[in-house]
Amino acid sequence: MQVTVKLVASFRLKWFKEATQDYPHGVEILDIVNEIGIPVNELGIVLINGHHASLKDKLQDGDTVSLMPLIGGG
Amino acid sequence: MIILGEKSKNDPSAVLYHRCTIDLDTQTITFEDLPCRNLEDVMGGIGRSFQVLAERKIENAYCRENPLIVNTGLLTGTSVMTGLRAYFSAYSPLKQSGKGLPAAMWSAGSGNFGNKLKWTGIDEVIFENCSRSPVYAVLREGELGPLVELIPADHLLGLSGHEKIMSLQKDYSNAHFAAIGPAGENYQSVYMGAVILSTDNQLKSGEPKNRFAGRGGMGSMMGYKNLLAIVAQSSDKPGKITPAMRDVNHDVLKNGGSARFQPVSQGGGGGTWANIEVLQAFHAVPMNNFRPKGNDDVEQQFRDHVEKDFEVVSEGCYRCGIRCHNNLFNRNPDGSRGPLAAKYDFEPLILFGSNLGLYDAAQTCELIHLCDQLGMDAISLGATLSYVLDYNERHPEKPLFNGATFGQFDAIRALMEETGRGEREEIGKGVKRLSEQLGETSYAVHVKGLELPAYLPETNPGYIFAIAGGHMSMGTHMLLAKEGKCSVEEWVQVITTQGLLQVGYDMLGLCKFVGVGMGHDLIDRATREATGLEFTSAEIVAAVRRAYLRGLALELRQGFEDAEYTLPAQIIDSPNPNVTLPNFITAEFIAQLKLRVWSVFLPEMEGLLPDLD
Repeated sequence: MQVTVKLVASFRLKWFKEATQDYPHGVEILDIVNEIGIPVNELGIVLINGHHASLKDKLQDGDTVSLMPLIGGG
Repeated sequence: MIILGEKSKNDPSAVLYHRCTIDLDTQTITFEDLPCRNLEDVMGGIGRSFQVLAERKIENAYCRENPLIVNTGLLTGTSVMTGLRAYFSAYSPLKQSGKGLPAAMWSAGSGNFGNKLKWTGIDEVIFENCSRSPVYAVLREGELGPLVELIPADHLLGLSGHEKIMSLQKDYSNAHFAAIGPAGENYQSVYMGAVILSTDNQLKSGEPKNRFAGRGGMGSMMGYKNLLAIVAQSSDKPGKITPAMRDVNHDVLKNGGSARFQPVSQGGGGGTWANIEVLQAFHAVPMNNFRPKGNDDVEQQFRDHVEKDFEVVSEGCYRCGIRCHNNLFNRNPDGSRGPLAAKYDFEPLILFGSNLGLYDAAQTCELIHLCDQLGMDAISLGATLSYVLDYNERHPEKPLFNGATFGQFDAIRALMEETGRGEREEIGKGVKRLSEQLGETSYAVHVKGLELPAYLPETNPGYIFAIAGGHMSMGTHMLLAKEGKCSVEEWVQVITTQGLLQVGYDMLGLCKFVGVGMGHDLIDRATREATGLEFTSAEIVAAVRRAYLRGLALELRQGFEDAEYTLPAQIIDSPNPNVTLPNFITAEFIAQLKLRVWSVFLPEMEGLLPDLD
C-alpha cells in the first residue's frame, strides 16, 4: 500500500519534505519513524490525514502521515 | 539572601532577603533584611513582588504610591544554567480592568543585569514615588554591603535604550544595565514601554543585542518615575560548580524541554523560529491581524528562505548552553558577515511580519530593530498595529492615521516610529483602549487589556486565565497543535493543573526554555544544589500555585469582571475556516470552561490577599 510521509521544520531540513512509497499492510507510524531514523524523543506532533495520532496507529492505503518536531516557547 | 543555619532547611523563615527601598522623591535609601513569610517569598520574582503589590490599594498606575519593584529569583546569579532572570513588577499602566483600575503586572528579562543585581547583595529594590528630574540609579557592592546612588540623567534623555546602555558603560565597568528608550520617556502617551537589559554580547560587540522585559509597560513605569536607567555593578560571583550541579546543568541542556530550542546543527529545532513551520502545517500562523489566509505566504519566513539573504547565527545568553535565539546579520558584498539586522524569533518576526501582511525578512528586521530601539513591547505594539491595519482595511472611506493597511511597510514603519516618539497615543495605549474608543472590539486581539502573543486566540482558551497576557503565565499556547485537546474537560484539567505552573519560572529566576514542569525533579535538585534549601517538589508546586492564584485574586480585586474573562469575539462570531485545527471554541464552551475553572480556583483564592480596609 502507498503512504505519503510529510516532514516539517527541522525534520524537513535533515531528511526530506515529502515522499510517497510502498509499505506493507498493517505498518505502524513507529515503523516509518524508525525507518527514516527520526529519534522518537524528538517527535512532537504526529498526524494521520491531518488528525492527531499515536506512534502505534496502523496506516491504511492512501494515508498521509505528518511528522513534526517538538515545539514550544514563545 | 541569608540562610539562617540554625533553622530547618525547608523553613521559609530561615531565609532573609535584602531589600533596598529608594524614595526617588526624597532620595532616601533604606536597607532591610526581611524574613520570608512563605515559600513564594523564598522563590522570589513575582512570588514576592505580588505580595508587596497586594498590600497597596492603587487606582491609577501613574500615582506616586505605585511602586516599581525590581527583584530576582532564588536561582538568579547561581550556577544553575539559565539562572539570569530579573523581574520588574508594578500596577500596570497598560493592563486595566473595565472599571478603570490597573492590574498588577510583571515582566521578566534575561541578559546579565539580574546576575549583577543579585551579586551587589540586593535581592529586591523598591522604587517609591517619582524623581523630580531624570535620574539613573547605581547599585553597587561595597565592602560593608550594597551602596546606592541616584545620579542626574539629563544627558541620557532621548537616547535609545541601547545608546543609554553604551553611554553608561563608559562610566561603569564590570556592570550591567536596565534602561528605557524614548517610548518609556513618553510614558504619558505610551503605556507599552519596555525595560531594555544589557547583555555581555552587547557590551563587547557594541551591537544592540539586548534582552527586554517588555510586557505590561514596566518601562513606562520607569519613565513615569523619571528613572531612566539602573546600573548594577559588582564582581562576578557565580556559584561553585559541584559535580551535582554539573549534573543539573547537563540535564537542563539535554532534557527534551530545552533541546528543542537548540540550533538545527546541534540536533535541535532551531529556536522558536521553528514554530512557524509547525503552525503553518495547520494554517495557524497569525496573518493580517491573527486571521490566517490559508495560503503559503508565510513560507517566505521559513528559516531556509531567510538564510538566502541573511547569515543566521544561533546564540545563547550568558553562560547558557541553550543557544535559543537567532541573530540575523546582513551580508557584506564580499559575502562576509555584516552588521546585525535583528534578533529573529517567533513573536517579533510574526507580529512584525505576517501579522502585518509583511513577508520580506529585511522589512521585518527593520521593524524589530526599530521597536527595540524605541523600547516598546513587541507583542503589544505588533497586536495594536495589526488592529489599526485591519480597521483601515475595513474602513477605506475613513481610515485611521496615515491610512496604513496590510503590507504597506513604509506607512507601518511611520506609525511605529510616531508611536515610540509619543505622537500616536491611540496606538501607544494599546489595543483595548483603541478598539473601545472606535467601537469595534471584536477583532482587537487582547485578553483583559493585554495584547496576545503570536498564537491564535482560537487555539488557546488558556489565555482567559492567563494573568500576564498569554504564554508567559499559562503554558497552554501550543497544546491544541501538539495534542489536539478540544474538550472542556481537557482544558479545565490543564488550566487548573500544569498550565498555571508556568509562573514558577517567573519566581525562581530560570528561563522557561528549561522546558520542564515545576514538579520536575530537576527544579528541586537545582534549588537544593544552588542554595542548600530542601523544599520538596510538592512544596514548590503548591507555592507556585498560590502565587498564580494570588495574581488572579488581584485581578478580581482590581475590578475585572466575568465578562472580561473571554477571548476576542471574532473567533466565535466568525470562525476562520482556513485554520485546519479543530474549531472548538464556542460561547457555550467558554461559559462551561469558566464555570468549572472558577469552581476550582475561587475557593483556593480565599485568604490569599491581605484585607486593605
